[in-house]
Amino acid sequence: MSGPQPVAKLEGLCVDYRGADGWSRAVDGVSFEIAPGEALGLAGESGSGKTTVAYSLMGEQRGASRIGGGRVLFQGRDIFSLPEKDLLALRGRSIGFVPQNPMASLTPSMKVGRQIGEMLRFHAVPAPQGVPARVVELLESVGIPNPAAAARRYPHELSGGQQQRVAIAMALACKPDLVILDEPTTGLDVTTQKRILDLLAGLKRETGVSMLYVSHDLASLAQICERVAVMQKGRLVEAAPTRSLFERPRHAYTRSLIAALPRIDVPPEGRLEPLAAPAQDALLEVDDLRISYARGGFLGLGRPSSGSDTVKGVSFTVSRGKTFALIGESGSGKSSIARAVAGLTAPRDGTIRFNGQPLPALARQRPMHLRQKIQIIFQNPDSSLNPRKSVRSILARPLRMFGTLDAAGREKRVIELLESVRLPASYAGRRPHQLSGGERQRVAIARALAAEPELIVCDEILSALDVSVQASVLQLLETLQRERGLTYLFISHDLAVVRWFARHIGVLSDGAFCEIGDTETTLSAPTSPYTVQLLEAVPRIDASPQIVT
Amino acid sequence: MSVAEIDPVASSTRARIGLSASGWVGAAIILLYVFVAVTGPWWAPYGATKILTGSPFEGASLQHPFGTDNLGRDVFSRVVFGTRSVLTMTFAATILAVLAGGMIGVVLGYLRNWVDEIGMRIVDILISIPTLVLALLIISAVGNSLWLVVVTVAFLFTPRVARVARAATLNVVTNDYVAAALARGESTMSICLREILPNIMGVMLVEFAIRSAFAIIFIGSLGFLGFGAPPPTPEWGLMINEARANATNSLWPVLAPAAAMAVLVIAINLLADSLSRLIDQQGVSPAKGDK
Repeated sequence: MSGPQPVAKLEGLCVDYRGADGWSRAVDGVSFEIAPGEALGLAGESGSGKTTVAYSLMGEQRGASRIGGGRVLFQGRDIFSLPEKDLLALRGRSIGFVPQNPMASLTPSMKVGRQIGEMLRFHAVPAPQGVPARVVELLESVGIPNPAAAARRYPHELSGGQQQRVAIAMALACKPDLVILDEPTTGLDVTTQKRILDLLAGLKRETGVSMLYVSHDLASLAQICERVAVMQKGRLVEAAPTRSLFERPRHAYTRSLIAALPRIDVPPEGRLEPLAAPAQDALLEVDDLRISYARGGFLGLGRPSSGSDTVKGVSFTVSRGKTFALIGESGSGKSSIARAVAGLTAPRDGTIRFNGQPLPALARQRPMHLRQKIQIIFQNPDSSLNPRKSVRSILARPLRMFGTLDAAGREKRVIELLESVRLPASYAGRRPHQLSGGERQRVAIARALAAEPELIVCDEILSALDVSVQASVLQLLETLQRERGLTYLFISHDLAVVRWFARHIGVLSDGAFCEIGDTETTLSAPTSPYTVQLLEAVPRIDASPQIVT
Repeated sequence: MSVAEIDPVASSTRARIGLSASGWVGAAIILLYVFVAVTGPWWAPYGATKILTGSPFEGASLQHPFGTDNLGRDVFSRVVFGTRSVLTMTFAATILAVLAGGMIGVVLGYLRNWVDEIGMRIVDILISIPTLVLALLIISAVGNSLWLVVVTVAFLFTPRVARVARAATLNVVTNDYVAAALARGESTMSICLREILPNIMGVMLVEFAIRSAFAIIFIGSLGFLGFGAPPPTPEWGLMINEARANATNSLWPVLAPAAAMAVLVIAINLLADSLSRLIDQQGVSPAKGDK
C-alpha cells in the first residue's frame, strides 16, 4: 500500500510464550500495516494470537512471553527499542486502548469523570475549556445521556454499554492516532453492540483516528473495518479489503469462518423437517408465569409484591419434538424462565405443565421421573462442570441417579454418551480444564442426555463459544433432536442462530412477550417495533464501509 | 480469552509440580518434628522428668546439648519429649476446628438464607471475644486437663474457620454445576459433599496449616500462663515459664523450647504460604481464568 506513512506497521512479528515444555510460538511472522484513518479488523478464534498482536502494538509484553523476532513500528519508531518512559507517554497519548471488559478496566472506587480527567492531566493534554468541561464533552461525544451527571457516577452505576462508552471516551481523550479495540462488544447484547458499533463508525468518520479492531466476530468487524486480517494459530492467513474478503475468501480457513456465520439475511435452507410430524401435542405448557427476585420483610421471609416482577405473566406452549426459542436482551427475563422450567427458581405465580401434569416449583419437590425428563444445559461450560471431577464421574452421576445400570453398564453408557456428542472415549478420564470450550459444552450436553430427557432447556448455550464451534454444537443438537425426538426450549439473544434452529419463537422484552409465533413469519414480517429493532441490530456482512481511496 | 492457549493438558501437569523451595523447606522441617515426636522417647538421652541428670544450670555440653534447668533436668530431652504432646494437641485441636468450622461454613454458605444470617451473627459474636480471655475462662471454670485445652482451642478456632469456609463456598456455590446438581434433585448433603467440598479443599488445606501455626502459639501461651499441662510435664510453654525466673543466669532452658516452637511455627507458615500460592495458581488456570 503506497501513500502516506502508515500509523503502525508490523514486520514479521514473532512472540513466544513459555509453556510446560519450553518456549512455544504464539505469534508467527505477522506483518501488516494500518494507514492513517483506516480501521483494520483482526479476526480469529480464541488462542489464535490476535490479542497478543494487539498488545505488542502498545509495546506491551505479557508475562512469560518474549519477542521471538520482527519489529513493531509506530509512526516509524521501533516500539520495542523505545525506553519505558517514551512508551508510557505513547500509551494513552498516541495509542488509545479499549479493553474487552470495561468493568475490569475502570477503577471501581473512582468516579468516571475523574478517571477520564486523570488521563488528560497525566498526559498534560491542553484543554482550554478546563478539564471537567472537556470530560463532559468527551462523554457527550460517545453518546452518554446527561454527561455531566454521568461523570459523577461510579463505574458500577452505569450499564455495561455505558461502561464501554466510558472506556471509549477514555481511549479517545488524548486524541490518539491509533485506537486498539480488544473485543469491545463481546460481553454486550445485540442492540447495545449495534449502538457501540455505530458510535465507533461515527467517531472514526469524525476524528479520522486509525483503529485496530480485534474480534472473533466477523460480522461486527465487517461493520466498521475497511480491511480485515484473519489469524489462525499465530499466523496471518489472509488480509484483504472487507468486501472482497467476504465475497472471495482465498484461504480455506477464512472460508470456513465465513461459512460458520449464521446469516440472518439468508432464509434457512436444507433443514430437515421430520417427515409426517407426529400430532402437535404440547409437551410443555407455561401459563401466566411470574417470577420475582425481590425479598420482602425481615430476613427476606415476607412475600414479594407483584410490582417487582422480573417475569410479568408469560404464557407459551412447546410442542413435542420441536424447538421453541426465547429471544431477548440480557435482563429481559429469559434465563429466569429457563430456571423456573428446570426447577431452580420458584415462580411467584403461574403454572408450568409438563405432559399435561402441573410441575411442582422446585426440582427437589418434583418426582424422580419428572426431574429426569427435564434437563438443563447452561451458558458457560466453564462453570457448569465441576472442575474437580472427571468427565466419567460427571456423566455417571445422572446415570446412577436416574438409571438402574451397574458400574460396568454405566461405564459402557459413558462411552456411548461421549460418542453421541462426537467426543473420543479417551476423554472419560479427563478433567474439564483439559478440554476446550466447545468440548466442555459437548460434555454438558452429554450429561443432559445421560438422564434420557424429553425436554432440554438450553440457556444461552452458544454464547460462550467461538463461531465455528457454535455451528458444530448447533448441528449436534439438531441431529440429536432428529434421532431422539428431543424437545428444546432454546434461550438465546442471537436471532440468526434462532432463525435457523427454532420452529417457534417468543420475543421477550422486559419480562413480557412482545411477539410470539412461527419463527419464519415472525422474523420476515415482525409486527412489534422491538422485534424490528432486534433484527436491525444483527450485524450484517454487506453493510461494511468502503475503502477510502 | 485469547493469547496463546497453552495446551491445557500440559498446563495442568505443570501446575501439579508446584511447591516452591521454601515450601519444601517448611515441609521437611515439619517432617523432622513429626519424626522426633514419634521416635524421640526411644533415643532421648534422659527421661523427661528425671532430675539431677547433671548439676542445675549447666551450660551446653556434649552430655547436655541444651544444658540443664534449675532441677538439673536435661533441657534437650525435655524439648524432645515435649514435641509429641505439642504436635498431638495442636493437630487434634486444628483438625477438630477445621472439621467443625468447615462443615458449618459450607452449609451456611450453601443455604444463604435466614439460618445463614443467624449463624454468621453468632460466629461474629464468638470471634469478637478475645481468645485468650475466653480460653482462660473456660479452663478455669471446667478444670485443667490436656484434652480440655484441645477442645477449648478447637472451639475458639471453629468460628474463624467457618468464616473462611463460608467465603470459599460463596465463590463455588454460584457455579452452574451446583445448579445442575439442584436440577437433578440432589440432597443438600450430597451437594455440599460432592460438588462444593472438593472445590474448597485447597482453601481448607491452607486454613488448616495457618490455624495449626496459631494453635501452637496459643497452646504454648496457655502452658506459659499455667493453664495447660500440670508442672512436671515437658510442655514447651510451661518450660519457658518455669525457667523464666532464672533466665538471667541460665538462658538455655528458656531459649531451647522457645526456639523449638518458633522454628515449627515458621516451618508451618512457609508451607502454608507455598500451598496457598499453589492453589491460587490452580485457581487461575482452569475454569474461571479466562471469562
